[in-house]
Amino acid sequence: MNFRAFLAILVCKILRFLSRLLHRGGTAMPGRWAVKICPNLLSILARDVKTIAVTGTNGKTSTSRMIEEAFAEQGLDYFANRSGANLMSGVVTEFVMNCSLTGKMRRHIAVIECDEAASRTVFAQLKPKVILVTNLFRDQLDRYGEVTHTLENIRFGIRGASDAVLCLNADCSLTSSLALDLPNRAVFYGLEKGAVASREKPEISDATHCIRCKTEYDYSYITYAHLGGFQCPHCGYSRQKAQYAVTAVTETRPDGSSTKMQIGEKTYRMDVNLPAVYNIYNAAGCVAALTEFGIPAETAVTAPARFQCGFGRMEKFDLAGGTRVMLVKNPAGCNQVLEFLQSVQEEYILVICLNDRGADGTDVSWIWDADFERLTALRPNLTKVIVSGDRAGDMHVRVKYAGLEESVIAEERDYEALVTSLTKESLPVFIMPTYTAMVDLRTVIIRHVGGTEFWE
Amino acid sequence: MELNICHMYPDVLNLYGDRGDIITLCRRLNWRGIDANVTRLPIGEKADLGKADLIFIGGGQDFEQQVLLEDLHRGKDREIRDAAEDGVTFLTICGGYQMLGSYYETFEGQRCDFIGVLDLYTVGSKDRMIGNYSFTCEEESGGSTVVGFENHSGRTMLGSGVRPLGRVLSGYGNNGKDGTEGARYKNVFGTYSHGPLLPKNPAFCDFLLLTALQRKYGTTELAPLDDAPEISAHDEMLARFSHQKNHG
Repeated sequence: MNFRAFLAILVCKILRFLSRLLHRGGTAMPGRWAVKICPNLLSILARDVKTIAVTGTNGKTSTSRMIEEAFAEQGLDYFANRSGANLMSGVVTEFVMNCSLTGKMRRHIAVIECDEAASRTVFAQLKPKVILVTNLFRDQLDRYGEVTHTLENIRFGIRGASDAVLCLNADCSLTSSLALDLPNRAVFYGLEKGAVASREKPEISDATHCIRCKTEYDYSYITYAHLGGFQCPHCGYSRQKAQYAVTAVTETRPDGSSTKMQIGEKTYRMDVNLPAVYNIYNAAGCVAALTEFGIPAETAVTAPARFQCGFGRMEKFDLAGGTRVMLVKNPAGCNQVLEFLQSVQEEYILVICLNDRGADGTDVSWIWDADFERLTALRPNLTKVIVSGDRAGDMHVRVKYAGLEESVIAEERDYEALVTSLTKESLPVFIMPTYTAMVDLRTVIIRHVGGTEFWE
Repeated sequence: MELNICHMYPDVLNLYGDRGDIITLCRRLNWRGIDANVTRLPIGEKADLGKADLIFIGGGQDFEQQVLLEDLHRGKDREIRDAAEDGVTFLTICGGYQMLGSYYETFEGQRCDFIGVLDLYTVGSKDRMIGNYSFTCEEESGGSTVVGFENHSGRTMLGSGVRPLGRVLSGYGNNGKDGTEGARYKNVFGTYSHGPLLPKNPAFCDFLLLTALQRKYGTTELAPLDDAPEISAHDEMLARFSHQKNHG
């Protein structure tokens, strides 16, 4: 190891120690300085570490936690980056926290969640054994640009890691196109026709036209958004056969679902401890990545049943008549959460917290691409909508134009006042916050009813 | 009363929440007891644009632009021109706005001919102009203040055949240089404003609706609505701009 790397590790460790002393997270800032001192530090530290890397628009965190669950079950000594520290700085911080001052790694297995844009630089240094790409949707257009641009970033990143096995969502025409011109071995996972009810073509789709020849796709089924059995009538680009295939969803419950998963010749039961179709995708991706990593399939399929995600992903709190925090970031994820609410069979209160800071995306126009019109169908179980966050005004207008009466809409921007008022409620509460709103709101909720800070 | 609204290319020009403009047009008509008939006109399909009272074209990804131009040049360009000359109300946003101009020249110097309904052209630049912004409409376009979100790399230059829609208060507007934003020609309105444009700018939305209702029914005034949440969201963004200015 060279002197620069040593210095970078030393500085990183000192900064992290000071952050914790000041009760800050310090999940990314120390790594930022380390990279300034030694730009290729990650490639040095990652040399002896076998990694599953997870990227894609939605489901990175949930899927990574499911993978961790299986690693823990197997008794593997692994480490992982958490709490959204998924840029180069966060990844480096996590590696440094798991190495000695001389750069010797204490753990040799890792689960690394990686931001889509950051994958451009992270993958080449990390050289993961398995790269899981969950899906691609329009997301924070002001930051990432168009969705095809995000796809190019991921493709570029994978070019630097040609030994990695790719686990790709077969149902996403954008994601699965990564296999077209990369030398990596690729496996696919997805939902087979009939596993969930097929739906109409959505009004907003991020991939209506063939990524190769720009002809409009035909679909034999659609699970949600642009995911499903796509086929280009012109050039023949179509959904690849999924080696990890959810063939049936046997039961859907408000808190999870039961499915059948076919891997090779065998069919396994796979339970998912979180509701909604998108979590079935997350579970299928997790099983594919684990199996390709070398975990036995029969162990892999049990991981999604046990894990508790937390940190704003369907996270439960003992507030009001039970509270769930469901992070929303983009139209596709938001529509899935709205669909989940349709399965709630009792009266409840909905809180929507819209922020427009850097990590949320400064452009809030996506709330108009999300199908909030569905809220009207949620009445009368939906008794009240409280809008909050820096852009509460925009959210108020959105739900008004979605068709909700003014009498069920309330505005409360102050989180302290919001949570205090919720403690007096007896109905269940569902909170849909954007990222930075979730982080701040969680802190206030935890102060009132307990829970753990995100870096613990 | 009823207005026929044609939503052109909703299948590809649907970025940045522009669908919110259609939702807003419809609601504000319905709340006044006026019917709104929205016709979606995707790529490859034909429609009689002559029947439309209001034509909406949103913004989209560069990826699909080529497909779109081919479709336009199969006859829709002429129909659009006729409708515009005939005084039909158009609201065109970002990519849809650029498309009505004469041409687009990429940063690398490649020129792509557009349909030339509006006397303007657009030149690609290296830097994207992104962010919340605001402008004041010219008196002929209602004179209201508009808050929106712009996200474009094209710089649009207006010719003498069109007038600017408004003057930039904060942000970039057409090109970041001459202070103009958008364009107006007869009842054709072009702007860079996503956000989407109409929900937070009810005064502008009503002005737009009035041009279409006036042409069809001779309407000169719209019944007032309770716009408290819209105006509050509008004012909040305006206050942010003045706050930013005060602090440099």
